Amino acid sequence: MAIDRKKVIEQMSQIDMLPDENGIIEGFNVTVNQLPTDFWNAFAERLSSKSSVDMRFYKEYLLYNSAHECGYHTGYGIITSDEWNAVVGPMLEKIPEDILHGAFAVFTAWGWANTEIVELVPEERMVVRAYNYYEADIVDYGSSSKMSAYMVRGVCAAFMELAYAGPYDPKGKPVGTYECEQVKGIECGDSYGEFIVTKAKES
Amino acid sequence: MAIVVKNKIEYHHKFDSKTNRHYINGILSVLHCHHYTCLYTQLALDAGETTLLKECARESFQDLLVNYFLEHPNHETITQKVDIASQYYSLLGLGKMTVQFIGRFSGSVELLFSHTDSGWIKKWGTYDKPINYISGGFIEALFAVCLDMPPNSFEAVEEQSIVMGASTSIFKVTRR
Repeated sequence: MAIDRKKVIEQMSQIDMLPDENGIIEGFNVTVNQLPTDFWNAFAERLSSKSSVDMRFYKEYLLYNSAHECGYHTGYGIITSDEWNAVVGPMLEKIPEDILHGAFAVFTAWGWANTEIVELVPEERMVVRAYNYYEADIVDYGSSSKMSAYMVRGVCAAFMELAYAGPYDPKGKPVGTYECEQVKGIECGDSYGEFIVTKAKES
Repeated sequence: MAIVVKNKIEYHHKFDSKTNRHYINGILSVLHCHHYTCLYTQLALDAGETTLLKECARESFQDLLVNYFLEHPNHETITQKVDIASQYYSLLGLGKMTVQFIGRFSGSVELLFSHTDSGWIKKWGTYDKPINYISGGFIEALFAVCLDMPPNSFEAVEEQSIVMGASTSIFKVTRR
């Protein structure tokens, strides 16, 4: 593999995101914010935990979908950015697989999760492991019975779509081509989170 | 790691290479885009959980502001605290606010620019009701922290909204 993951993380993690005079941070073709992880975790966990089993399914789907759409658009912004072209661009040899590996290195650099691809069958299946992710911080002691890494799940599916679901569509039409299931979670007592991306059953 | 003074507020960004986590002014933080913000807001609207969204924002921003003023005790007066807290709103990328007035029983805040509203318009166009519950939570935290009052002392209600076509958003704040 051509991607120097350590170098990508080192360089892409150092970018300071400062607002313009209007308090808006433009970057990677989207508008970004830098909020405390506690805020995102609090809403997702309180929303999903207080629901009945049936309602929880829908709420969890919507949490996952938020990240899925976000990951598709922001992911595209990342892999077409000047920063990407400068740092990751020269490492790319095998397209789109190296783009995927590079994207997960940036995913790590952004503080979303320390993730890497451990298995990739082009166009079919991808297994991603997350060794550290902020969504696991919902548990301070013990383990939860509920997998809670909705953001990691959604972004994994989105990155697969950017690689294998055709050209980028600003309207996000390819979102939903792939789906991602979380099968292990640090929040559930596992030593890492594991995420399996496959083609969506509906597609 | 970078320490930048933006206006009067300090921006101390640290990346922990062992955990791959970002800290801004000591607070564990993460970058997300306007799609994520807007979809969370839409989810809160659909699920009837806008109060929860605002409450989570208020609690999180309360901790953030309290922590900043503990670390920077030189900001002593209400005027100084309001100034810094408003700048913090911008530092987070949420937009630009002007606190029109602040008192122990009421207040008013104007948003000149809003990440959530502009993101929503970019994504879906205008909307028929206010959507900025995250900023509402920030404003409630700002009032309580700057006036040194207990958390949840104030309620911010968006009475005019950029997403509805207004040039600025206005939040009316009242004591609970």
